[in-house]
Amino acid sequence: MDDLELLRDLGRELGDEPPATLARQRGRLLDAARGRRGLRLPGGRWTVLGVVAAVTAAAILVPALVLHGRGARPVASSTPGAGAKAMNILVLGSDRRAGGPARADTVLMVHLPADRKTGTVVSIPRDSMMSVPACEGPGGRALPPRRAVIGAVFTDGGAACVRKAVESAASVPIDSTIVIEFSGFKAMVDALGGVAFTLPKAVTDARGRVLVRPGRQRLSGAEALAYVRARRGWDDGSDLARVRRQQALMKALLDEAHAVQLKSPMRFARFLAAAARSLRTSPALDLKAMESLARSLRDLDPGRVGYTTVPVRPAPGDPNRLVWAPSGARTVFAPFRR
Amino acid sequence: MVSAMTAPSTVPDCDADLIGRSLDEPEAFAALFDRYSAMLYRYVSRRLGPDGAEDVVGETFLVAFSKRHRYDLTQRDARPWLFGIATKLVARHHRTEAARYRALRRSPVDGPAEGPAERVAAGVTAWASRPALAEALAGLPRRDLDVLLLVAWGDLAYEEVARALGIPVGTVRSRLNRARRKVRAALGDTNPMDEEE
Repeated sequence: MDDLELLRDLGRELGDEPPATLARQRGRLLDAARGRRGLRLPGGRWTVLGVVAAVTAAAILVPALVLHGRGARPVASSTPGAGAKAMNILVLGSDRRAGGPARADTVLMVHLPADRKTGTVVSIPRDSMMSVPACEGPGGRALPPRRAVIGAVFTDGGAACVRKAVESAASVPIDSTIVIEFSGFKAMVDALGGVAFTLPKAVTDARGRVLVRPGRQRLSGAEALAYVRARRGWDDGSDLARVRRQQALMKALLDEAHAVQLKSPMRFARFLAAAARSLRTSPALDLKAMESLARSLRDLDPGRVGYTTVPVRPAPGDPNRLVWAPSGARTVFAPFRR
Repeated sequence: MVSAMTAPSTVPDCDADLIGRSLDEPEAFAALFDRYSAMLYRYVSRRLGPDGAEDVVGETFLVAFSKRHRYDLTQRDARPWLFGIATKLVARHHRTEAARYRALRRSPVDGPAEGPAERVAAGVTAWASRPALAEALAGLPRRDLDVLLLVAWGDLAYEEVARALGIPVGTVRSRLNRARRKVRAALGDTNPMDEEE
């Protein structure tokens, strides 16, 4: 074997066959070809897992660390974890931007085992076609069974319909649904007085305007949000790289929260209130329930939270939509059935 | 060398027609995606890994689409043009790429795959040479690396590499020779298989 052959061999080993999800890139191209690109939001449609990490952390880890870090009121005298049950939580990140309808930009399932030492996060692509059972939309409007992409189910049926659709597609029960407005994330950062963070480079919008400059600085809520949404030209553009990037921001946010907690109890109280306001839970979790969930998460090691995505392939007859690969979906949701 | 000089037989002869048509019918451009996205994905995933490749391929076609007015319609085969765009986009992720080669250099994680005897033997050679190859790739200047990998991993001929990178063919040859000399030096200028026997 000569050097080029050895190199070709290495290439074959390092590379990968195109995944089914490559069809989404065809969709991006067609959007551009149809002149829709100008309407695309900064950050694009594929900001899926990116915000997921932030949102998951905001929903679960922030209250967890913040609440038991505070020493807190002794709500339940039981030892953390004792009597806790495994939980499946549906998290919907809703990004309602100027004038538009509420869209579920982020759909994910979180599984917390009874011992709360690990966690599993499964992200569901927004363009997944789902069989939606009959369900009750906002205002008690009855909606018939239908097929729709999951992002659209949230827009017209709300969280309750998404929950039914996911329960039926994944065959797992959902204990709790959490809807997070991205605007709430912004409010949380502002309530802390910003977050100290170092950006290796600027965040820009589609036209190249600088939204956040590079370097060490205090990010405002709006800047932090621009960073979580950013995708153009960042790291390798992949979801997983984005997750790592977001986690760095969440860590900075948590450090900030701890520092503020010690220095400025008033500001800290505002932060907690903002965190509580940015979440809608169903069934409603009151502060006591959140605190008990937070206590049970004391042993959760963020490094042991596994992130994965439902395996998908292009929908028959419509390469811009996706359907779940049945066996793959069974595998990723297996931990949720224990 | 011979294989690098021969244009792959799958090259269709009407990319230029498609691009010309897409000036009036933008959606016609999607046919180019259907033709070449898999090929580009393989090339990019070899350099950046599967995580980033999907997005880079998508960006490649978006960039190409936005520049289609400037495409030289006398060039029937659009592959060099697309590989050139993809290569520029890969360069933005040079840290990811370099880290990948450095990681390989440190730890050959998997042993050779099991299979028929000769495949295993070839696999052993490839596997044993992997850290040395990765070391060489990590140390190459970008312009030499681009030429080498367009040939080895993108399967482009010299003329096609020249078009992709906008450089003369003579420059392609000299960069390739320089890069291959370094790779061979890293391999100890010998075939590790022969050495062991």
